[in-house]
Amino acid sequence: MNVLGELALWIALPVALLGTVLGFVAGRHQKGDLQLGAERSVYAVFGLTILAAAGIISNFLNDRFEYLYTASYSNRELDVFYKVAGLWSGQRGSLLFWLLFLMLFSSICVWTNRNKNREFMPYVVGVLCAIASFFLIVLLFADVNPYEKLGFTPANGQGLNPQLQSYWMTIHPPMLYLGFTSFTVPFAFAIAALVSGRLDSRWINVTRRWILLSWFFLAIGIVLGMRWAYEELGWGGYWFWDPVENASLLPWLSATAFLHSIQIQESRGMLRVWNMFLVILTFTLTIFATFLTRSGLIESVHSFAQELKIAYIFLAFMFTIGASGVVLILWRLPKLKSDNQIESFLSRESAFLFNNLMLLGVLFSVLWGTLFPLISEGLTGEKISVGPPFFNRVNIPIGLVLLALTGIGPVIAWRRASKQNIKKNFTVPVGVGLAVAGGLFAIGVRHGFALATFGISSFVMAVIVIEFFKGTRARARIENENLAVAFVHLIARNRRRWGGYVVHAGVVTIFSGIAGSSFNVNIRQTLEPGESAVIPSPFGHEYKLTYEGMSTTSATASNSNNNLAFQLVALLRVEKDGKQLPTLTTEKRGYIAQDQPTTEVGIRSSFLEDLYVILSDVADLRSAIMNEPDAQTATFTFMVNPLVGWIWYGAMMVALGGLIGLWPTVSGAPARAPALASARASKPVPVGAAGD
Amino acid sequence: MSVIVGAVLLVVAVILFILQPMLSGRRASLHREMDEPTEAESRWRVALLALRDVEYDHATGKLDEADYHALRRELAAEALTALERVDSEATAGPGGAPPALEDEIARLRSGLRSGTTCASCGSGNDGGSSFCAYCGAPLRAAAGGPSPHGSPSGPGPA
Repeated sequence: MNVLGELALWIALPVALLGTVLGFVAGRHQKGDLQLGAERSVYAVFGLTILAAAGIISNFLNDRFEYLYTASYSNRELDVFYKVAGLWSGQRGSLLFWLLFLMLFSSICVWTNRNKNREFMPYVVGVLCAIASFFLIVLLFADVNPYEKLGFTPANGQGLNPQLQSYWMTIHPPMLYLGFTSFTVPFAFAIAALVSGRLDSRWINVTRRWILLSWFFLAIGIVLGMRWAYEELGWGGYWFWDPVENASLLPWLSATAFLHSIQIQESRGMLRVWNMFLVILTFTLTIFATFLTRSGLIESVHSFAQELKIAYIFLAFMFTIGASGVVLILWRLPKLKSDNQIESFLSRESAFLFNNLMLLGVLFSVLWGTLFPLISEGLTGEKISVGPPFFNRVNIPIGLVLLALTGIGPVIAWRRASKQNIKKNFTVPVGVGLAVAGGLFAIGVRHGFALATFGISSFVMAVIVIEFFKGTRARARIENENLAVAFVHLIARNRRRWGGYVVHAGVVTIFSGIAGSSFNVNIRQTLEPGESAVIPSPFGHEYKLTYEGMSTTSATASNSNNNLAFQLVALLRVEKDGKQLPTLTTEKRGYIAQDQPTTEVGIRSSFLEDLYVILSDVADLRSAIMNEPDAQTATFTFMVNPLVGWIWYGAMMVALGGLIGLWPTVSGAPARAPALASARASKPVPVGAAGD
Repeated sequence: MSVIVGAVLLVVAVILFILQPMLSGRRASLHREMDEPTEAESRWRVALLALRDVEYDHATGKLDEADYHALRRELAAEALTALERVDSEATAGPGGAPPALEDEIARLRSGLRSGTTCASCGSGNDGGSSFCAYCGAPLRAAAGGPSPHGSPSGPGPA
């Protein structure tokens, strides 16, 4: 099985190269038989990649430690679950995993377009196969082949890093990869549009749906990573502006910008060059993300000597993409330019443009902050670190402006908005925002950014609620429906707009959740069994945690994890304002073949705050593991994290909004006669008559 | 041994799968399908959606009367232009009818109107004839009445 798997990769490369050639030749010379061959190449490479991936999984399941990759990330005791997930545990396998998803989306793209977009498809297939060829070249020639053999067979493997032995590991990378790899399809369509010269609105429709899908997956993947960090890394935080985190954020930012600016292109035919640039930039950033995290560049510029090959190949690829993109756009510049102009500064187009500027501002600051240490270290040899202070200082103000825009955009009309009406529509929301900020100030909140965030968030929520209310009422009146039906139809008939509002509501909630961290409580205390700590919450109440004691669970008695050497559990009784709550535990865990024990935190979540407990230090770990009665002294870090739950609730709203936007509509040209007759007779077109 | 056999079979299968279209002449389409929207249809759809947005913005008080009427006029004009383009595409047919055919159609129509084209067999006759020289049917000028071959397609006069 695994031999076939390895062979499959070698077969896949010439097939992918063939597909590239066939696709471009078919497009250039309009040859349908070559095109069919090219499309089949995509399916063939997909099948071969499945074989290769299956071979790796089989290596893990059968404990084949003669393979370097298996020996590095598995051992006999590892849970079956993590053996299967071994496919993406390490660099080599994750590159193959990336290729697998790439081919999955390429196949889906080719299949769903077998009767559509036929003028684009030759070039689309050519580009998809070219990208597949790149990843195959990397896998086979950059010393990162997951089938590389050790030359001898170790008795046992090294096992999996315990911090990766969590179910988050099984969902966060796949979700992110779904997001990253699906950006390849809109990129392929953009290139196809440029090469074929068909730069009208049709490529936009295809691209928009795919980018929304990728954006959706990427957003979920990023939030899953945040949740994982919060639960597993045990510092009470969820975002550290770490290069790997930043790498996943960058394409999401440019995709968000694209989803907004594309509406300007649709309605006014403007910004076509900009949108092309955004699609190419987004795809390049996904490759950059892989490059950054998989080339070993992050650990240290000096330690990636053995990774040099892969870094160079990735750099060459990114340069090729960038250069081709620029050349193609310059070539097609005359066709891309538009005569239209933005009519008024007070218009939704203008708000969207501003939104784009802000998002790109965040993007470039994050990019700079991530790259600068690497460039500097490469040039001067000195290690500089750019950390949260820089990123927060630059991005928080921009973030607040963006937050405000999410409330301004919906209130302003397309094309031009009248000043009096804007004043009228802004009064209530601005009033709500000021009231909330003022109220918080009155009760003693002095933290500037928190006040600004809560004030602006309330303003935006007021705007969104009023929009939904007004829209439902207008529709109910015009269509003669009751409010509930009108509400459902309102959303169903214009999913993009209303899904967008739900996303905005989610974003606002997330920002508020983040602002809550300004009020985090953090107390470190050493306790003996029977002693208590009193932790005040910013909301006025008090937690009393009483340390009961520690006990060790032996490895065999623990749950499914066979790699566990010991599990030292500290038990705490929890009281909130005198009322008894369920107990909390926090642990130190030791794993076979790992030197350092890890810490598991105890979290008690409620709507307004999280009570977060970390077993920071055990005075005498050895004796404690032996369950000796006088080795029970423990140092805890107690945290109260206000509003942190709002980040997860907000993320669910963002996902819901994305789903609403993605939900397929009954497509087809809107009915002609009624709309035309009413346009000619100057009667109002019923709101929601045409599908979106 | 079985691995080698498996490998050879795999390679042969993949090669056949990809090359089969070129050998058998099967083709994938490279042209727009009939039911896909054209550029004109997309533009018309966008114009309609813009009209709907304007209606909505006015109904919810974001546009005042003057702006609303001005925008509606603009957008309705854009929508009509787009629709006319769609219709002219529809009459022309996919890719547009060849000019020679259109000339032929125009000739037949004018002949029917003036009475030189026979309504029954379509042959041309000399002006002023009362009966068709080929089939004997009476020749009638079509002025004031619909031609027996049906009205011309496309947007009728308002």
